[in-house]
Formats: sequence, C-alpha cells, structure tokens
Amino acid sequence: MTKTTLRVCGSSHLLPGAPAWARLEPQWALVFGDFADWPTALRTASADPLLWILTLEDVSAPESLEGLDAGALDDALATLMAPLEARLAASTQPTVVAWTAWRPQSAIASARRPSSWSRATRRLETALYGLAAQRVALHLVDLDAALAIDGLAAAFDSRNFYAASCRFSRKGLARVVAAVEPVLQRIVAAPKKVLVLDCDGVLWGDVVGEVGVGRIVLGGDGLGRAHKDIQRAARRLGQTGTLLALASKNTAADVWEAFDRHSDMVLTRDDIAAWRIDWSEKAANLVEMAKDLDLGLESFVFLDDNPFEREKMRLALPQVTTLEPLADVTTWPALIDGLDDFARFDATAEDAAKAQQYRNRAAFADAQRSAGDETSFLAGLAMEASSSPLDATTLARAEQLAAKTNQYNLRGARHTAAELDALAASPTTVAFLTRLRDRFGDHGAVGLTIARVAGDTAFLDSFLMSCRVLGRHLDAWMLGRLAARLQGCGVRWLFAEFRDSGRNAVAADFLAAHGFVPWRGHDGDPRRCAMASLSAIEGELYLADLDTLVIPHLDLFHAPETQPQSEPPRALAAAVP
Amino acid sequence: MPPRPSPNPSLRALLQQQFPKATVPATGSLAVGDIREWDSLGHFNYLMLVEETFDVRFSVEEMAELKGLDQIAAALASRGVEL
Repeated sequence: MTKTTLRVCGSSHLLPGAPAWARLEPQWALVFGDFADWPTALRTASADPLLWILTLEDVSAPESLEGLDAGALDDALATLMAPLEARLAASTQPTVVAWTAWRPQSAIASARRPSSWSRATRRLETALYGLAAQRVALHLVDLDAALAIDGLAAAFDSRNFYAASCRFSRKGLARVVAAVEPVLQRIVAAPKKVLVLDCDGVLWGDVVGEVGVGRIVLGGDGLGRAHKDIQRAARRLGQTGTLLALASKNTAADVWEAFDRHSDMVLTRDDIAAWRIDWSEKAANLVEMAKDLDLGLESFVFLDDNPFEREKMRLALPQVTTLEPLADVTTWPALIDGLDDFARFDATAEDAAKAQQYRNRAAFADAQRSAGDETSFLAGLAMEASSSPLDATTLARAEQLAAKTNQYNLRGARHTAAELDALAASPTTVAFLTRLRDRFGDHGAVGLTIARVAGDTAFLDSFLMSCRVLGRHLDAWMLGRLAARLQGCGVRWLFAEFRDSGRNAVAADFLAAHGFVPWRGHDGDPRRCAMASLSAIEGELYLADLDTLVIPHLDLFHAPETQPQSEPPRALAAAVP
Repeated sequence: MPPRPSPNPSLRALLQQQFPKATVPATGSLAVGDIREWDSLGHFNYLMLVEETFDVRFSVEEMAELKGLDQIAAALASRGVEL
C-alpha cells in the first residue's frame, strides 16, 4: 500500500519513535518538523496533509493573558492563529489541529468567575471552530476531551517536559495519537454503512425461542435496561444514516413477535433495512444482505454476543469489521455510541433518509422484476428530476457522492471537499447536484455533474450517480441538463472521458449510447488545444456536438411540481466569449 | 545449584524492542551511541520503555545521567528490580 505523507508538528516535542506513533504508520509516512518552529511548518508544508498538536501553554504564557478583556484575548490568540490561517489559505490538503489547553488550576480561583485562562481557552475554541466553518480542509480534535478518558493528570508528565520538552506522558501521547487517528482515517476513507446486530444476547437478554417473548430480558432495571439502551444507541445510528440489519440464528416468527409485541422494544421493523433470521451461517447471510443492499462487505460492522460467532465471522469475512465487546453487556451502549466506524464530519439530511431510500431501492427492484415492459414501467414511475447548485448547503453531500461513488463514475474522479469548494467558486465551472423523486419516494441528491469550460469547449470533469437509482436513465437527464446550461454559455463542443477504474464498468457504454463519438483529433484541431488546457486524459476521450446532440429517454422525466432552488446566474456567461 | 533465570526481560531485549531494525550485540557493555539508532531521542524513548516494563519511574536527573545498560541495571536494582 502506498503511504501518504503526513507532516506532524507540535508546539512541544512529540517524541518521534515513541510506540504511540506506530498506530499511524501503516497508512501514513510521518515526517516530523522541528517542534520549536511550528509556524514555519504550518506556512511551508502546503503540499501535504498536516497534523498540528497544539498545547496552548506552549504558545501563550498564562501570565500574558491575565486580566485581558475579550478583545485583547482575541488579539493575543490572533498571533497564534495567523500561521494556521496562512496554511489554510495556501493549501487544500487536510489540516488536523489537535489542541489541549489543560493546566492545573485552583478551583477557588474560578469559583466566582472564569479565570483568564479558562476564558482564553474558550476564545481559542471559538476561533478554531469559526475557522473550520470557513475552511473545509480544517479538522479539529479536542484533546482535553480525549485525554480525560484516562485522566488529564495522567496524560501529562512534567518530568518529560523538563527532560525532553514533551508535555505528554507515554500513555498520554498514545491517547493523543488514538484521538487523531480516526479523524485522519475519515479524511481518506468513507464511513461504514451497515451495523449488523444479533438478537438474543444483544437486542435483549436470554433466548427468545426458548423462554418466549414475555420472558426475554428487556426493559426494567439491570441488564434489561442495558439491552434497551443498546437498542436506543443502535436506533440513534439508524437516525443518522447507518443501516441497521439483523443476523440471528432463530425462528423468524419468534424475533418478529418480540419486535411487534414486547412493550420495551425500541427498534421497530421499519428501523431494519435487511435481515436474515434462520439457521444458516451468519457469514453467508451477510454476503446475501450485501447483495440485497448493493453494498460491499467492507461497509459492514458485525456485533454478536457469542465469541464463537465473532471468530467465525473474522475467519470467513475478514473484510467485515467484527466488534470485540467486553463480556459486560452494560458497556455495550457506550461502545455503540462511541463507534468511530460510522461517524461523519457532517451528517447530512441524505444520511438521515438513507435507510428509507434503501428500502425504496428494494421495492423498485421487486417492481422491475414483476413488470414486463421496461419503457412503460419507467414511464409509470412519475420521475421528477431537479438540479441544485454546488454551494455551501450542498457541498457536504457532493463530497460524499464524490468519495463513495465507485460504480457509476465516468472517470473515478475523487475530489476532496476543498477541491469541490474551489470548483464551485470558479467562474469557468458548471456544477450541479441532481435530485430524483418518483413513486417509490424521494431519493435525495443522487448525481453530481461538473464541467470545466474554455471558450466554446467544455470537459466533463465529474459525472457520477448513486447506484441506488441505476436503471432509470437519470444519467440522460443529467446530460440534458448540462447540455442546456453549457449551450446557454456559448459552448458547442463537450469532451468526456471514460477512465476504467476496474469498478465502473456499468458506466462504460454511457457516452457512446448518448451521442458521443470517440475523438481522435489531429494536432492542428483548435479543440485539441482547448481540451489540453482543461484536463489531462488517461482514458478514452469522446466528443459530442451540442448543436446536434439528441439525448434519449428525456421524455421519461417530469418537471417537479415545486422546483427546488435553481442555480443562480453565474459569472460563467460573462467569462465565456 | 544453577542460578534461577530472571522472570524479567533483559535490558538488551528491550533495546531490541525499541530499535527493531538494529542488531543488538549479545555481550559487552552498551551505551547510548553504540547502535546507530540509539541517539538521545531514542534513548529517552528507551528509558520510558524500561520504566513501563518494570513499573518504575526515573527522576529528571536520572533521565539525563543513565547512559548505559550497566547504569540502568544499577538504578533498577536500587528499586528492587531483579534482572
């Protein structure tokens, strides 16, 4: 695996070579900067992702903050923030700031009013999150919250500070790295999508098939309360877009009777996106559920109370994340709440609606199988498509689509949030998200289209669509929408590239089937020069003449009754001759 | 009667653990600088590994003064750690 360079700087020494850092080494090639010169590291390492571990006391002496009012505190912190702001302005690479402001203070000194140090800490936090709201490349880790898990006093070591200028104890440094690792991981990898739960021993105590619904351990005090809280924690995940599934060796009727009749059940049938309740091997059942949901097994997380089942799952399907909970069931609600696997930087409305959308997908597949004629079937769906501009309100969803869409993705393009932000702001870019609604429900924003323009020529930079809506010809609608917008800007020639990523075969025929022809332009063709200015090409290049382009299937779509916000006028028209 | 083998890992074994790519000589006295990877930063990390392994804590002065395995062994012996 190719490692990505990660620049690491700190306001005090970070002990490169300490075992704590080994946790990052499988993925990252760590390059440590001089701890005494963190401003230079922030200002110069713009080509690489960067981790800055900041101890407020290293950069602001407590006595220098004493008695300052809010404005003066902000001025004092501005010196600290300036190198960070300079990096964020110069680099679209991820920046992770992990900060701590902890220092021993007398409780008496802050019993009547917050101490200057406490006020400075809050101003720093406000300033950092204010910056994060403006800069999508910035990610923050509150180390004081992470270090509190083992106790703040144990996380710091004055001996290490005076002997080696390192603020942290060996265990504290390990906790620092453990806190930043999932954030770094989420920058490069999408969250998991499915939590697969066992029933007996997880959703409730005891075996429902043996004791009956009335005697399972659920609700009340003690373990029954813990099992109910496990369900609550799972449901919270479901409400923010994680799909919940059941894999249980049981008689299905017994499990559903518990769902339908036990008064302390928190989860309902509607919360469950997929299930296999039978006596088959759970690994085989997970493979089937992955097919049902059209998701990879690497998106699955498995929770089972039986160590034997867990071990079998690890052996059979190592790509599934099999949790290893403590034997004490009372720790499981916190285990589920604290899972990094499903956590997102920005939970979008799309995430929250996802379980319903996957159920819609299953219903669509059922209806398609039972319908004879595809054209009349699709016409009967009453599909309504609409587009939304790429802006602050849609950027998080666009980033998700760009990060997760492997199959219907013409070029396998992988723009980061910062790159999308820059594209959205560019006057020579046409970019929009596509939403779809039909009689199976609102599928949300499921398509992303980005084209770069130079004169009368444009290049299809990104063209990708969620696999949830495959088979509806929404790609044709997206192309039609793009063609209309480009023509409005004076564009005639639209180049597009199909780049085989090994996973996007489903999109291989789109261009040829929608009016594009392979392009082998000679050197003197002026369009070659325009194309070269727009993008480097690694795959097969196609060209369409928008003046004569005829796009099929557009008659399947209706205009929505209430058109969402339309794209605002762009500077593009003025920028294009 | 032959001496009873110590239950504790040797300081050399810990040196190998700290510097897995290095070749640690099996005999002879050893001190900071005798192995290429064993520089002052590596030594600080090594002393913390020794502390963690034997559940002891060295003072700030000891962190500066304990340069060789013999000195470290003596500091551990003074705390009742049998090597």
